[in-house]
Amino acid sequence: MTQLILALTVGILFACGAYLILRRGQIKLILGLGLLSHGVNLLLFGSGALTRGEPPIFADKANFASELSTRHLADPLPQALILTAIVISFGITAFMIVLVNRRHTITNSDVVQGELVPLLLEGDPFAAGIEGTDGYDWLAYEVDEVYERDHMGRRGSRVLPDQDESAALEKDGYDLR
Amino acid sequence: MNPNLLAAPIALPLFVAALLLAVARWGGRQRIGLQRGLAILALVVNLVVALALARFTLGGQRLVLQMGGWPAPFGITLIADGLTAILLTLTALVALAVLPFAMATIDLHRERMAFYPLFLVLIMGVSGAFLTGDFFNLYVFFEVLLMASFVLLTVGGQPAQTHSGIRYVVLNLIGSLVFLAAAGIAYGTLGTLNMAHMAQRLESAPMAVRSLLAGMLLVAFGSKAALFPVFFWLPSSYHTPPPAVTALFGGLLTKVGVYTLMRSFTLFFPDLLAAWQPLLLAVAGATMLVGALGAMAQPTIRRVLSFHIISHVGFMFMGLAVALDGNRLAVGFGLAAAILYMAHHMLVKTGLILAGGAVEIDMGGDRLQSIGGLMGRRPVLAVLFFLSAISLAAIPPFSGFISKLSLLQITLDTRHWTVAAASIGASVLTLINVMRLWREAFWGKYEHPGRLTPWLLDAPWRRWLVLGPIAGLLLLSLGLGLFGERFLQMTTTAAQQALDRDGYIAAVHPLDPESVAAPAPAGGHD
Repeated sequence: MTQLILALTVGILFACGAYLILRRGQIKLILGLGLLSHGVNLLLFGSGALTRGEPPIFADKANFASELSTRHLADPLPQALILTAIVISFGITAFMIVLVNRRHTITNSDVVQGELVPLLLEGDPFAAGIEGTDGYDWLAYEVDEVYERDHMGRRGSRVLPDQDESAALEKDGYDLR
Repeated sequence: MNPNLLAAPIALPLFVAALLLAVARWGGRQRIGLQRGLAILALVVNLVVALALARFTLGGQRLVLQMGGWPAPFGITLIADGLTAILLTLTALVALAVLPFAMATIDLHRERMAFYPLFLVLIMGVSGAFLTGDFFNLYVFFEVLLMASFVLLTVGGQPAQTHSGIRYVVLNLIGSLVFLAAAGIAYGTLGTLNMAHMAQRLESAPMAVRSLLAGMLLVAFGSKAALFPVFFWLPSSYHTPPPAVTALFGGLLTKVGVYTLMRSFTLFFPDLLAAWQPLLLAVAGATMLVGALGAMAQPTIRRVLSFHIISHVGFMFMGLAVALDGNRLAVGFGLAAAILYMAHHMLVKTGLILAGGAVEIDMGGDRLQSIGGLMGRRPVLAVLFFLSAISLAAIPPFSGFISKLSLLQITLDTRHWTVAAASIGASVLTLINVMRLWREAFWGKYEHPGRLTPWLLDAPWRRWLVLGPIAGLLLLSLGLGLFGERFLQMTTTAAQQALDRDGYIAAVHPLDPESVAAPAPAGGHD
């Protein structure tokens, strides 16, 4: 029964994580990744035996072998693995949040854009405009995913991303070279 | 040979990286010059250690270090065989070539953002992934190198970098999660995470477990190596960081994925290498063709070269897929050819991305439509780019020829006509692509681009730092091509070692926990 509940929980976490990652919003993306890594951590947890056991600490070294056969001990390794995995996913999630925040500063938008927006934004001297981007016109419709936000965060009128983003960045204290 | 040497390629870059951070923060001065010098010193020592390891292991031996003196399944094992040593040497060479280029081209802003410590941490992660004999430790080293690459990719915070950074982080994170889940399942079903011990226990594991693990590892490592259905993180991110960073990534990162695929399939699932061969060959062929075709459509030099990386990973994977086929060449010839191809690819691709980066910096952009006429303006760079390009396109006497020839020979010999045809097609497309690069960038009329940075190749010391590494890598490629027979013998030794599972298990010598528990344990095992 315990195993079934654990398996179902892992499955539901994976499903929700996958669903959230496939949405366009970046906050949902971060939440989805969080759920996925929780699912994997629980899976690691389930790789040990799901029973109650004593701490695997031996009173004296000489009777190690007899103690091992009589006492019912917990497996400490999955917990060590989970701890490592939690630390790593914590670091990556923090990094992701900084990236998404930075990107929000630049585009003033929460959604993930297609290829064209970076092409326009990187200030390539040869990218004359949407028409001049070497057959990437099929991506042009991606641009309309960039919207202005009002002070409540509601989606406002559409803007093309060729606005002067450097002003927004400098306001936030970024050193633009 | 002292096995403690195995810890050096991991410990040394880590230590020097920490030292550089301390040096940079101490007293409020960055001391960029000192940082550069220490970083080069660390990489040179790494190269020497790697060469010593290669000399030892290519004699047919393995070197094993049980960390902390704990016997095998309980502690972490580091193990070097021929494959590991070859890749460590190449890693050090690639890093040593990229570092001077980075010194000349990375802006001061990025250098102050801990560029050199990050560079060394990346090298540490790559070396650790090559050396470790513990499955979970492999995951940790993957994360170390990914974390360093995340920061290297996004440091500077240009808008395009942020965009591509999010994609790169997310897709790599998903791959890592699949790997981590596989590690959990392996521990749950096999009860061990030591790779030699896992190999031992997988022999008697049920087929369902073996297939599940093999499938998950194929997806996880395949996404790191940029194999066909899961390659899309690579072309969407490699064109955004500075060229030196792209060269480092292009030379090292996907190759870690290829190495883990080689290691896991030869050590854990040698039988699946035969049973799944149609699948593996289909993936290899599709990777080659998609990479080469994708490169045709790209508008900038670096995007073309990024797609070529994918195409070449397909070639290496093809060699792995036919590694165990019986044929009139020796068993393992496919793997040997794949290792040789990997060596060729790491040297030449890094050199070519560096050359492309020099073009990009010199012209102020690398959009093929807009640049041109560099032949007259930068003749030395033009010659270096041309020679690197024909080496990539497998024209003798450079290394591309012998490595591609031996791969083609083994696929034709084992009668895999379709994938052999695909590889020839991909080679032709590669040739067309590099010709396109050459024609667009170097021929034609020189036009003054919008934003000119004349400082790069005009100052003599910068010129040496930029052109020297490219020329050095080209010379190595030429040597690899001219002495191909000898290098093929070396990689054959490495391939035989990698395929010799019993030797690997015996070298690590994992104890059975039950047998340890029965008698009273001895104080210290060694």
